[in-house]
Amino acid sequence: MPIIRRNSVPAAPSEPRRPAEILRVGTADERWNAARALGSSADGVAALQDALRTEADPKVREAIFTSLVRIGSPDSVAAVIPCLRVDDAQLRGGALDALRAMIGVVRPVLPALLADADADVRLLTCDLVRELPTADATRLLCDVLARETEANVCIAAVDVLAEIGDAAALPYLENCAARFHQVPFLGFAVQIAMQQIVAERPVLHD
Amino acid sequence: MTNETAVSVEDFSRLCEFLYRRTGMIFTEAKRYYVERRVSERMRATGSQSFNSYFARLRTDSLGEIEQLVNAFTVNETYFYRESHQLRCLSKDLLAERVKRASPAKPIRIWSVPCSTGEEPYSIAIWLLQNWPPVDTFEIEIIGSDIDTRVLEAARAGVFGKRALMHLPTDVIDKYFVALGDNQWRLLDDIRDSVHFAPVNLIDVPGTAAFGQFDVIFCRNVLIYFDDASRRVAAENLYANLLPGGFLCLGHTESMSRISPLFEVRRYSDAIVYQRPEVTP
Repeated sequence: MPIIRRNSVPAAPSEPRRPAEILRVGTADERWNAARALGSSADGVAALQDALRTEADPKVREAIFTSLVRIGSPDSVAAVIPCLRVDDAQLRGGALDALRAMIGVVRPVLPALLADADADVRLLTCDLVRELPTADATRLLCDVLARETEANVCIAAVDVLAEIGDAAALPYLENCAARFHQVPFLGFAVQIAMQQIVAERPVLHD
Repeated sequence: MTNETAVSVEDFSRLCEFLYRRTGMIFTEAKRYYVERRVSERMRATGSQSFNSYFARLRTDSLGEIEQLVNAFTVNETYFYRESHQLRCLSKDLLAERVKRASPAKPIRIWSVPCSTGEEPYSIAIWLLQNWPPVDTFEIEIIGSDIDTRVLEAARAGVFGKRALMHLPTDVIDKYFVALGDNQWRLLDDIRDSVHFAPVNLIDVPGTAAFGQFDVIFCRNVLIYFDDASRRVAAENLYANLLPGGFLCLGHTESMSRISPLFEVRRYSDAIVYQRPEVTP
């Protein structure tokens, strides 16, 4: 019988002794392992946040984000949010995925992010709202439609409402389309969203 | 599908996009009939009057409808030689690549996770004995793991009913099983003893690390049930559990592309699998 059986699994490779240091100076594989090791304790957030500022290897960045998700604390969220403001699209996308994966902890800061001075942050945050329950998401995005000055941010909000919004959003959508009547695409997006909401969903909150 | 449950091209596209984003499952137009049949079943079960009302229920995940639909897709049942195209790929392509790189002194390690009541890891053992001529040249270590210790006990017992054996040729059943009567068969001790079973939680980093690295991991139809956070942790753990150049086999509707950029996609004639790159990019 060539198929063998071992009654115990092999010992795990030992974890880095000083993962915070290795995350700064190790090889890519060592940094990847160190980033994963730091995810086992809330104490790792500071080192992970520092590394996010300088880490260039996409694989290590992913591991840093995953460890911050594993820790899943308000500090983790605070460590990731600055990455929404960077020019590096890959880093921005990684941050968005990480925030999406810990949406329960992100929820309290969503109103602030939706009112951020940076329109790109507001736009990206609309997509995060997609992860919330319908009534909650509808409330947040209706607030956006009521006050937002950038058409692109409104389009992002409308896109999410088309998917998960309820009928409470209908008057906000109409008003937004009227406010941005000079942006035909927004009017078109609002029309599609309203059709989908009317076809699919009742009002789920007052 | 009846007119009431008909799904337009646009709705089908929205449904597929939603399922991909929420579960990582991929369906193309070629799978339309397969998808529509299951959606139709769920619409009947939930009393949904139209596709739109069902889709609204699905998107809000009312009463856990996403899991219900995923269950309908995955056929929550395990049997010997399930998705045998992957076993063909294993013996025809994957092991050939692995043994080219590995020292014959080192065992080939294969992990079936989750393994439920053992049909998959035992299938791998039987398939290789039957279909991989170099099987006698190498030591092959097969480990079956599951989070549920009760199913592992059943796996170790190695007793199976008729349905579990329905895809096995008669000569294979005769060769590797002993009939117990009452439509029950027990695996020969040699086969039962060839697979080691141990519990694991796929999102436990040190727990998975303890299993060491494998040449091939079968991890079918489980990541689709995880939330985003658990899925990305599990994907990294699976990556860490693979030797460089090792292969990960997912269920036929699953895709790793949505979950993690760590793996390379490899397309073989019998299956699409994911590979840990040989050299760190």
